[in-house]
Amino acid sequence: MVTSLLSTDDLRQARELVEASGLQFEPPYDDLAGVFEAGRLVAVGARQGRVLKMLAVAASHQGGTLLDEVVTELVGRGYQEGVDSFFVFTSPALAPGFEALNFNLLVASGKTALLEYGDGLRRYLARYARQIRPGNNGAIVANCNPFTLGHRYLVEQAAAGVDQLFLFVVREERSMFPFGARLRMVQEGTSDLANVTVLDTSWYAVSSITFPTYFLKDGDPGGAIQMELDLMLFGQRIAPHFHVKTRFVGSEPFCGTTAAYNEAMHRVLPPLGIEVREIERKSAIDEPISASRVRDMLLRGELEGIAEMVPVSTLDFLLSSEGIKIWDKGGSR
Amino acid sequence: MKIMKKAQAGTMQSSDLMVFLEPGQTLNVTIESTVLKQFGGLIRAKVDEVLQKHGIEAGEVRITDRGALDYAIEARLETAIMRATEG
Repeated sequence: MVTSLLSTDDLRQARELVEASGLQFEPPYDDLAGVFEAGRLVAVGARQGRVLKMLAVAASHQGGTLLDEVVTELVGRGYQEGVDSFFVFTSPALAPGFEALNFNLLVASGKTALLEYGDGLRRYLARYARQIRPGNNGAIVANCNPFTLGHRYLVEQAAAGVDQLFLFVVREERSMFPFGARLRMVQEGTSDLANVTVLDTSWYAVSSITFPTYFLKDGDPGGAIQMELDLMLFGQRIAPHFHVKTRFVGSEPFCGTTAAYNEAMHRVLPPLGIEVREIERKSAIDEPISASRVRDMLLRGELEGIAEMVPVSTLDFLLSSEGIKIWDKGGSR
Repeated sequence: MKIMKKAQAGTMQSSDLMVFLEPGQTLNVTIESTVLKQFGGLIRAKVDEVLQKHGIEAGEVRITDRGALDYAIEARLETAIMRATEG
């Protein structure tokens, strides 16, 4: 029977089993569960948000159904808590074991494979099938927190060079402006551009799954592998579906993580047949425009300067009662 | 009956299936199975039959199957329906 692991002794055994399997015991997690046999922990697994991790079965007990039992429990409990899709990181060698449990391989790179429970990616892609016209298409992935004239410039430059431009707005809710507000600002700020289609990234690009360190900013050693996985997933699975031949990105003078991501783009995407075009940032008041600069000015109450950095549609939103509620209370970022 | 809330039944073990139900405006059934090529049609027919029997006309129905037999499909789906419609 699968039980929750809570006591100090449970945790000690969990750590030993996880480490004996060549994995790292990495808190935090929302749920840690395992199976005991005669007082000894023989299988373990954890869930953190949508990600299942630290899944391990004792060498003496492999080949049975213990992994299935642990994953069932983690998925079942997670579902009850409102999580509707699940991912697992494992080594490519162990991926088939998860595929037998109805996990689907999203992408594999070197030592890491990312799998998803169920076929969320296929359903995500199918959702947009009608909006896609084959051609020389381009893509931008952006958070737009909030949508600025810098974004607008990048979109205009990109849209001019392609048949159809897909603007993927980051779905993840880890920014000052909620996804719904960001999406609306982007839609209103690009509605006059006929060949621009705005959509959301779901969990499949720059999300807490594919690229968690984006939201931490300071970066960490694991970040580099994560970026590659994120870009390979884009290049192998997403771009072909949208007939995307070029990914456009703004140059990044400020943020180290984003600069490293741009660099990884030049490394990973061209071998997959996708050209990367970095476009120089537009400036206002002697400095490149960036969303973080707009947020800083909002928090400092410097509203005059903002009008020079965002389109009218964004300014209207920022000064609406809904917009003021977001930045006046002082968001985290 | 109507799906009022999220519910789940079943396991990921071999010869079993997991059923996930959620409220929705229209009926939307997705089936994934390790034996989809061979038995996808039969699984779908069984699922439709059970849904019809319980008068489920709307909701998200997600099934991930590992080669469950008919009666297992029926039992798991009925359990999930009971959980999704009670109270």
